[in-house]
Amino acid sequence: MSESFEPVIIGFLCNWCAYAGADLAGVSRLQYPPNMRPIRVMCSGMVHPDLVVNALSKGADGVLVMG
Amino acid sequence: MKQDPCGSVLVVGGGVAGMQAALDLADSGYRVHLVERTAAIGGAMAQLDKTFPTNDCAM
Amino acid sequence: MTLSEVVHVSGSLGNFQVTIRQKPRYVDMEKCIACGLCAEKCPKKVDDPFNAGMGKRKAAYIPYGQAVPLKYAIDPQHCIYLTRGKCRACEKFCPTGAIHFEDTERTVTVTVGAVIAAPGFEAFHPQGLDVYGYGRLRDVVTSMEYERLLASNGPHMGHLVRPSDHEEPKKIAWIQCVGSRNINRCDNPYCSSVCCMYAIKQALVTAEHLSGGDVEQAIFYMDIRSHGKEFERYYESAKEKGVRFIQARPHSLFPGDKGKGAVLEYVSRDGRPVREAFDMVVLSVGLQAPRTAQELAQALGIQLNESGFARTSAFEPVTATHPGIFVTGAFQSPKDIPQAVTEASTAACEAARALAPARGSQAREKTYPVERDVRHQEPVIGVFVCSCGINIANTVDVQAVVEYAHTLPHVALVENNLFTCSADTQNLIAQKIKEHGLNRIVIAACTPRTHEPLFQDTLREAGINPYLVEMANIRNQNAWVHQQDREKATEKAKDQVRMAVAKVALNEPLERLKVNVIQQALVIGGGIAGMNAALALADQGFPVILVEKSDRLGGNAWKLPTADTGEPVQPQLEATIRKVNAHPHITVHTRATLAQASGSVGNFQGILDVDGTQQEIRFGAAVLATGARESQPVEYLYGQDPRILTHQQLDEMLQKRPEAPAQARSVVFIQCVGSREPQRPYCSRVCCTHTVKAALRLKEANPDLDIYVLYRDMRTYGERERLYQEARRRGVLFIQYSLEDKPQVEKNGQDLCVTVTDPILGRPLKIPADYLVLAAAMEPNPAQDLVEMFKCGTNEDGFFTEAHPKLRPVDLSVDGLFVAGLCHYPKPLDESIAQAKAAAGRAGVVLAQDEMRLDAIKSFVTDKCDGCALCVDVCPYQAIRLESVEEGGRAVRRIATDPALCKGCGLCAATCPKGGVMVHGFTLNQLEAQVEAALAKAV
Repeated sequence: MSESFEPVIIGFLCNWCAYAGADLAGVSRLQYPPNMRPIRVMCSGMVHPDLVVNALSKGADGVLVMG
Repeated sequence: MKQDPCGSVLVVGGGVAGMQAALDLADSGYRVHLVERTAAIGGAMAQLDKTFPTNDCAM
Repeated sequence: MTLSEVVHVSGSLGNFQVTIRQKPRYVDMEKCIACGLCAEKCPKKVDDPFNAGMGKRKAAYIPYGQAVPLKYAIDPQHCIYLTRGKCRACEKFCPTGAIHFEDTERTVTVTVGAVIAAPGFEAFHPQGLDVYGYGRLRDVVTSMEYERLLASNGPHMGHLVRPSDHEEPKKIAWIQCVGSRNINRCDNPYCSSVCCMYAIKQALVTAEHLSGGDVEQAIFYMDIRSHGKEFERYYESAKEKGVRFIQARPHSLFPGDKGKGAVLEYVSRDGRPVREAFDMVVLSVGLQAPRTAQELAQALGIQLNESGFARTSAFEPVTATHPGIFVTGAFQSPKDIPQAVTEASTAACEAARALAPARGSQAREKTYPVERDVRHQEPVIGVFVCSCGINIANTVDVQAVVEYAHTLPHVALVENNLFTCSADTQNLIAQKIKEHGLNRIVIAACTPRTHEPLFQDTLREAGINPYLVEMANIRNQNAWVHQQDREKATEKAKDQVRMAVAKVALNEPLERLKVNVIQQALVIGGGIAGMNAALALADQGFPVILVEKSDRLGGNAWKLPTADTGEPVQPQLEATIRKVNAHPHITVHTRATLAQASGSVGNFQGILDVDGTQQEIRFGAAVLATGARESQPVEYLYGQDPRILTHQQLDEMLQKRPEAPAQARSVVFIQCVGSREPQRPYCSRVCCTHTVKAALRLKEANPDLDIYVLYRDMRTYGERERLYQEARRRGVLFIQYSLEDKPQVEKNGQDLCVTVTDPILGRPLKIPADYLVLAAAMEPNPAQDLVEMFKCGTNEDGFFTEAHPKLRPVDLSVDGLFVAGLCHYPKPLDESIAQAKAAAGRAGVVLAQDEMRLDAIKSFVTDKCDGCALCVDVCPYQAIRLESVEEGGRAVRRIATDPALCKGCGLCAATCPKGGVMVHGFTLNQLEAQVEAALAKAV
């Protein structure tokens, strides 16, 4: 492999905490790797198990549910 | 007979303070006349680059 | 009305006639489309006041790019035609014929019930202070000029360069208190209150603006005044990031090498003369009342104080000396943005209070066009990519994202904007929606948490449903957090846009539910803040329930002898309590707490526990004013000797034993007891002024008394600086100590003795003390129960967290809740009262509506529901019930959701195995589409 492994991670972020926290990380200019693709949800409890399974089966290397 | 007061307010100054006062009054059912000396509202805050502690853009 | 000034006011409260002079704009606002051709063709260049004179603009101009109204104007002092009668180039090129040289000055008279004066401040002009070399040394700039140098819409597009050679400065000095706290060289003895913090901000932001980020910043100061909420942490972070804080006042500035930069001479703390060269020097200029404010005060017939600001009292902090005229912003006193925004709401509240019977009599509703029905149309998507000045564009290749967005399905239009949130871009978006028949919009910019409502409103104005917009958060969750990796950040931005496009294609128009607003308020806390909030709401005509935990109203104010203005507190406090108790719209409950609360803005329900009995209440908005208290010191032998007192104990003793000071010879104050320490890192804001006031009171009682104040930084901000100057003039000795070398207190037999290291001699100083007064920190009263009930938040220190520290300083993050007084942050009486009235004003905005629209993000039942009821129990809000419905002649079981109770959390949707219940705007399909789009490799 000529390139280093770059995982694709799907993130489900609760609008009221994790998403707000991710916004704050931006405001604070905290740097982190650009591999996560954020999806805003109104509560982490909204994330149906099928969404996680489908994400993994369609090629995601990881799924983060944050809330 | 006491005359009812007029339901309009004049706000002099279109900076951040004047604008907030105007918005609050307009949202509470008063007619607002906002008078600004220069050609546009915004005041000194519009001239600032960023604001602390969040370092958000002042615009 | 722009370009306008008030020239005359007559009449009285309820009925003023105001004469306003409007200067000619020479541009027809109706016709101007802000295309900018007039400015492009205008041959006359003028120093640009918006850029503090550092850039040029034309005589035909807009003040700045995001100006409101975005209409050009012609500057009659510089326009060649208006001054010399020839040119008219702009007129020839204007495509809409908007140039109107025959425009003349107009005078209009309006009738209003009240006036709010907010003419702002002007920055101190340092030209007269030749020691700083301003005007003589090119690389010495004022803080306002520096702010423009940093700004992305400034003269150098946000690339920081110094004036002399346009090179990046690598070593920058800030000199504090230029035009403030100075009785010799200028007329501004007060502290401007904001310069310490803006200098620290500029020092920190500078690092972000320079390539490589390596820069040396030094701030020359007298006292660092970081007395605001979260300010001390910001100051500490600046120290950690390497900003040098030098307590010295440079006495001379000389030209640097080859006339560039500047050499500063100052005397260090240990008495050594130092010469140090800097690439650039920023003068932290103070705020002062502008000349225009004096003219305005004259026209309004209101008095000014000795500093030139409007005269007000601590108990009516925004009320001018003429009834019906209110003042706010920096014209009231020098202040920062949160304070200005707070007191703007205070002034609005006072005006609303004065005119309560006339509410609604003159108001006009904002009307929106009828919504275009897009439900059965194919998606036609418009994508707007924001550069956010340099915030996004510095990291993300915005152009590449724009090009990429063109290739996505259904995308009909892609545009890039410098600031997508600016008013002119909003108009542009609305125009493009109509022009191109767009029916779905993607905004790739900042976070929907702050900006989605703005864009939703734009969609409404363009005649489409507000829920047809999606935002791709390429700033907070991309550009700002991946600053080192432009390529990957750009890839991520493309992915984010693709995900948003995939989702928005599935967005459906949604209806907002209306709820009736319960036009009654709850105020929790019966201290000076709570009582003022209750009175201000009740005077606007809203019934108020005032809940106090203890058995009497008044709170901390009972223990306070005078306000910082010197006005006695007790008579005012007693009058306030009488008014509250007598007010027909206020119900007071003492020994009462809120035991339960539910509901949302406009419609809360709760249970009050009043002395053991419970009663149900309903309210549309609430003000939390639960207060704070003086903490118990745990050091300096506190509690081991009756002569060691806190501020409140000293005040109490002086009340009971007025003869005590005459019998004493020496009193020592120690500041920052329990504040600005690792375990309680905030500044308690009120203690420095309290000490100075107490010291003056002691000197008054016994002029021979020796008074020592051991302090870290004296924070007598604003007009309070005069008290500090007065105390020094009367012989109070101020000795600075550091956190690393705190004073020691010993008891030898009956004698109290305090030892402190003298900063100038560098040697320990032993001071005998008849009384030792500890300036104990203010700590918030516990409010965890309210936090849990309302799901609002507190910061690490236990103070309620406002919705936005600058722009929504009295709103809590939960809509319909407002905060006032010490539970927000320690503050003096006048600021507590101002904030209480501001909270009442903001709550009044909610209560003035008859009905309120709820968000449309709610659960809904699909035809796949078979009534299995798995979701009923998981719903945390009891918003789902099972019902039986007739279908095709037989009874079937189905669930039904209650949109008023539903919060849109979607636990039901995630629980349902059949897709029988979903949340609008976040359906399984929509989320699935985002996942798929995220995983489809970017081209």
